[in-house]
Amino acid sequence: MARNGTSLEAAHASVKQLIAEKLKYLVPMTGIYIVSYIGLTILAGFAKNLMGTKVIGSVNLGFVLIAFSYLLSWLLAIAYGRIAASKFDPLAARAAMEISGRGK
Amino acid sequence: MNFTLTIFVIILLITLAITYWAAKRTSTTADFYAADSQLTAAQNGFALAGDWCSAAAFLGFTGLTALYGMDGAFYALGPLVAFCTVLFLIAEPMRNTGRYTLGDVIRSRMQTRTSLLAAIAGTVVVNFAYLMPQMAGAGVLVRLLTGISYDWAVIFVGVSMIVYVAFGGMLATTWVQIVKAVLMLSAGAVILVMILSLLHFNPLTLFADAEQKYTAKYLLPGNYLKNPFDQISLGLGYTLGLAGLPHVMTRFYTVPDAKTARRSVVWVMFLAGAFFAGTTLFGLAAANFVGQDVIRAADRGGNLTLPLLAQYLGGGKGSFGGDLMLGFVAAVAVASILAVVSALTLSTSGAIAHDLYVNWIKRGQVEGKQEVWIARIAAVVIGVLAVALGILAQGVNVAVLVILAICVAASANFPVLILSLFWRRFNTGGVVGGMTAGLVSSVILAMIGPAMRGADALWPLVNPTVVSLPLGFLGAVAGTLMWGRDSENEQRFDAFLLQVHTGVMPK
Repeated sequence: MARNGTSLEAAHASVKQLIAEKLKYLVPMTGIYIVSYIGLTILAGFAKNLMGTKVIGSVNLGFVLIAFSYLLSWLLAIAYGRIAASKFDPLAARAAMEISGRGK
Repeated sequence: MNFTLTIFVIILLITLAITYWAAKRTSTTADFYAADSQLTAAQNGFALAGDWCSAAAFLGFTGLTALYGMDGAFYALGPLVAFCTVLFLIAEPMRNTGRYTLGDVIRSRMQTRTSLLAAIAGTVVVNFAYLMPQMAGAGVLVRLLTGISYDWAVIFVGVSMIVYVAFGGMLATTWVQIVKAVLMLSAGAVILVMILSLLHFNPLTLFADAEQKYTAKYLLPGNYLKNPFDQISLGLGYTLGLAGLPHVMTRFYTVPDAKTARRSVVWVMFLAGAFFAGTTLFGLAAANFVGQDVIRAADRGGNLTLPLLAQYLGGGKGSFGGDLMLGFVAAVAVASILAVVSALTLSTSGAIAHDLYVNWIKRGQVEGKQEVWIARIAAVVIGVLAVALGILAQGVNVAVLVILAICVAASANFPVLILSLFWRRFNTGGVVGGMTAGLVSSVILAMIGPAMRGADALWPLVNPTVVSLPLGFLGAVAGTLMWGRDSENEQRFDAFLLQVHTGVMPK
């Protein structure tokens, strides 16, 4: 099927929309894990006593924050999977159709 | 000892059978480099876990936790966080824009020969810096576990990896990794259950016992990484360096599309993340049950902590259960080394055969059948070189190379890859600038640091990523600006973006 300029233009528009959508979710999500993880290493480096504060029995704040980081990473992974499937994939599929010339 | 050897021989026979099966299914370049992109998300997730969790990592994390407390837990957390970077920013674009190698991504963005050469340099340096300590570690570990000499241990590992890669390509490498991951995870699960049953299923007592035995200081950060900036460097190196390790990233070419690549990252985050979280508990348990003195006596760096713990849990030295558990964990460690060195050899042969020979020297004018043979020969040559380097490395401090590998990956490969994918103005000058600045600063800083020169270090940090990573980005930006505006490249970026986000290339 012949591909025409208009469908390629439509593809560019769809991808632009896709990128905007990705930015909306990925910028805060990337910010969350980078800030929390690098923040944790900074605390470990410069605030040893704070990290040693007992929280549950002998378990100190440092280990609690480490455990929290595991949970956070797993939650972000699941959230990303869901957001990508529901928000990104339909837009990407539409753009792909438009690129191969089967778009409207 | 006998158990180790028996389990080990069984693993070897299984992997050779896999290679035989895979060799019959490996005839095209797509088969050889990417297992024809036919893996499922779960298969690739297990293979990623097998690929990324090297023996050095899980033996090391357990040992560090046992001897130094919280710093070991930090080491173990890094890889999981790193996969967030890969999941959000790298896996899907990588899958959409390349076919077999990191060089493919850079080449399809820049379409210049110079940028391809820079990508080859980044891949080869990182892979060899990673491969050499793995070979040396294999020599030490296999000698320790089976009693054969260091040199023969290195040769044995080298020959096995050459056979897997040269005959079975990506398919054999993948299944070796999957077998290893399954063994590793089952070993972890068994050990975890045994520990918990000793503690009446209350892991909190691990911390109380450790505090009582080694004082509260043991549970504080900074017992291993004394310099606070080393902590931050470690964090940066791990979170961003993983995304620049070519042998891990090429795994995304083995799945059919970006969606599967994404799901495979979620798999590995749960598999490897859970296992690494386990190493923290294993380390604390080893400190309590086995004791730091015994651990240090077996190996000063604590690398035998996990085998010792397994032996204790099985019933102690000399008992049937103890020997069985020790043999099991030891065999998993050797399988891990085999899985990782095979992936490194395959990825390096991609850089040499596909990027350098076919696309750079021959400008793509090579037939598929011929390319497969070139790749196989490259794998053999790389394997032989790795064996030679491994033998030469005996007794040499190779720790600096491990740091170098992750540091170059974070400081040179990562900036170039991320800017190629997301920055319109980024150009060939930027690729060269970023690669050079990241590579040179990592090598120099690692060589003059404490890992190489000990007390005579001219520079205080073991891991220089905190400085070399910004330098890599700076070099990339400076190179881009000095190269000048390249309007053709910037216009082409729109088409490239379509490919990044959809996987379809506009013709």
